[in-house]
Amino acid sequence: MFIRDILKISLSSLLDQRLRSFLTLLGIAVGIASVVLLTSIGEGVHRFTLAEFTQFGTNLIGINPGRTTTAGISGALINTVRPLTIADEEALRHLPGVTDTVSVIQGNAAVEFGKRSRRTNVLGVGPSAGRVWQINVAMGRFLPDDDSQGARAFVVLGSKVSAELFRAGSPLGGLVRIGGERYRVIGVMESKGQMLGFDLDDAVYIPTARAMSLFNLDSLMEIDVLYQSGLQSKTMAERIRKMLIMRHGSEDFTITTQDEMLKVLGSVLDILTLAVGGLGAISLLVGGVGIITIMTIAVNERTSEIGLLRAIGADRRQILLLFLGEAVVLAGLGGLAGLLSGAGIAWLLGAFVPALPTHTPWQYALYAELLAAAIGLLAGVLPASHAAGLDPIEALRAE
Amino acid sequence: MNFADTVRFAFKAQLGYPTRTLLMLLAMAIGVGSVVVLSALGEGARRYVVGEFASLGTNLLIVLPGRSETVGGPPPLLGITPRDLTIDDAQALLRTSTIRYVAPISVGAAPVSYSGREREITILGTTPHLYYIRKMSMAQGSFLPEGDPTRASSVCVLGYKAKEELFGGASALGEKVRIGDWRFRVIGVLSKKGESVGLDMSDVVVVPVATAQALFDNPSLFRIMIEARDRDSIARAKRTIISVTQERHNGEDDITVISQDAVLATFDRIFTALTLTVAGIAAISLAVAGILIMNVMLIAVSQRKAEVGLLKAIGTPPGQIIALFLTESAILSILGAVLGLLLASAANWILGRMFPQFPIAAPVWSLAAAVGVALATGLIFGVLPARQAARLDPVLALARR
Repeated sequence: MFIRDILKISLSSLLDQRLRSFLTLLGIAVGIASVVLLTSIGEGVHRFTLAEFTQFGTNLIGINPGRTTTAGISGALINTVRPLTIADEEALRHLPGVTDTVSVIQGNAAVEFGKRSRRTNVLGVGPSAGRVWQINVAMGRFLPDDDSQGARAFVVLGSKVSAELFRAGSPLGGLVRIGGERYRVIGVMESKGQMLGFDLDDAVYIPTARAMSLFNLDSLMEIDVLYQSGLQSKTMAERIRKMLIMRHGSEDFTITTQDEMLKVLGSVLDILTLAVGGLGAISLLVGGVGIITIMTIAVNERTSEIGLLRAIGADRRQILLLFLGEAVVLAGLGGLAGLLSGAGIAWLLGAFVPALPTHTPWQYALYAELLAAAIGLLAGVLPASHAAGLDPIEALRAE
Repeated sequence: MNFADTVRFAFKAQLGYPTRTLLMLLAMAIGVGSVVVLSALGEGARRYVVGEFASLGTNLLIVLPGRSETVGGPPPLLGITPRDLTIDDAQALLRTSTIRYVAPISVGAAPVSYSGREREITILGTTPHLYYIRKMSMAQGSFLPEGDPTRASSVCVLGYKAKEELFGGASALGEKVRIGDWRFRVIGVLSKKGESVGLDMSDVVVVPVATAQALFDNPSLFRIMIEARDRDSIARAKRTIISVTQERHNGEDDITVISQDAVLATFDRIFTALTLTVAGIAAISLAVAGILIMNVMLIAVSQRKAEVGLLKAIGTPPGQIIALFLTESAILSILGAVLGLLLASAANWILGRMFPQFPIAAPVWSLAAAVGVALATGLIFGVLPARQAARLDPVLALARR
């Protein structure tokens, strides 16, 4: 018997029991579909989160005051005896490879225009924040390149704040009060949406030095460094570390490269996808038990057929292959059906529920299909070896 | 045939094919077991977080400076506001009737050194009330002394890990450590109770709040922790806090008050949703098991055509035959579910042994739901084969032999 014959016999016996084969197939298909669907959702969330993080550009390094000792937020973000200053930022700007720097202070204050007042996030940033974070102005311009100590009282509004305070009117040139001081509006940002829960549209941008005096701070909360693309983030981090240690005398700051952050985040999300896919695999396991059951029944029913085959000279190996072939065909077809329906549902979900991003990782889908075939093989071994072990004479005698 | 007969008949039929029956039971058991184990894990995570919050203190309210108008947006957890929240604000709150403890908190980081060893540690400026609010305990010495919170004094209490790092095995009580440019006398060491949501209490140095403000040259408080008198007065305390502060801040409502209840409720919702999702995913395997039962029952019907024909020939009504086959699938589902519950409780027991601090427990609803869904699956998928059996023509069924 050739492989082709084995396949033909397997297929024809599967077709003879159409309902039974269909149901077995369905069992495996549901299992595979749930694995594919769940990993698609996992992968979609993965990509979505990474995209959220990289929307500020990729060649970024963040520097915060204080060393983060344990996982969590360093207390130095609020207060520290060893501040990070604007002078530090200016020194960093002259480091080879650095193309831009932004100093950041974040706070919360009321922004008033006429009788309207809105409490909102106030970001004290350097003039290059727009370039570094890749956020654009919709109207007017971003903060000018003033001397950092004597920055003029200009403010750029987030789109939401602008809409709340000025309604339809043009805010450009208007005067708003922030924490009791008057600022002239010189620009309105494009809507950028939420960034990990922080609404960038519900914020106003003022020069760093002014924010420092507004909030009575002498330390920056963060310095973001943009470096030339093509340079290693590690070498840049090392240069920054050396320079700051030289200025401060000790390492009293934390450097976070975006690569590191993305790597950590990526591995966490990978585990999530795997875990969710693993959960889906439970149903695949149940589907495998289904194949064993059906194959066992099939061997019992076809005892006389096996006897006949043995009597006309088929050896044990061929009988084994025959039944294994059936199991694998069942599992493989079921897997294919599951793959298609799982990917289909994932696609439909992505199309109709835009909030739930899905992306089918074909490499995982391939694994799932291979897994299905493997389950078919494993599940087929027991009944098939039982069939192969049957004594031909006894088997023929069974009615 | 009465009910007992039906059940006996169905049992006999199952025992006739032991391998097949065992495999179906296994499939059902895997489904039920995974639903129960996964929901137990979810429930365990929920209880763990709730427990962590309880250790943070009960009837807790947190006052943050600043306020965001955006509904649903995060409160300004780290932001700085132009109007400070001061120690005097905290003291004013203590004079109201609904509030028991008030702990103003000022946080920062500074290098702490002792005889050549230095470590960057979080400095927590607060008052003795924090000790009661966070239910802390001392390993050695005492916590910050009572007294006027606006007066600075150079004493400090070390967290467990901070003490280990700086002093090793040596005693720290009475020694002088340097924080920034100041010298502090160590008057106590916190016990190993350690980490909880928000702040790792083992790696901190606690100093009087006025001292921390002077150290960081910042008169603004990070937040104020408040314990209400009892559960019922939380809402009233919240209103009082807002009105008292508003009065002190020239009529401006510029603080955010978070109650622990609200935070806890959010976590509760998140974890319940998570548990339901995970259990739902596992329930897919129950559907697969159901398909298997249907498949096998269909085979059983075709194999037992003669038997069914005989039953019909002796006058058994179709309803009775349907009942017979449905009973078989129901028995399979129930036995499978029971087996699954046994498997799950074994798995839970082992998990509980492996992670003793993690309160793993299957919620009652998940047991009921798993068994209910298993039974429903068995019955729904049993209907088709049962009806096929009932529809068999007795003469043809018998004549096949």
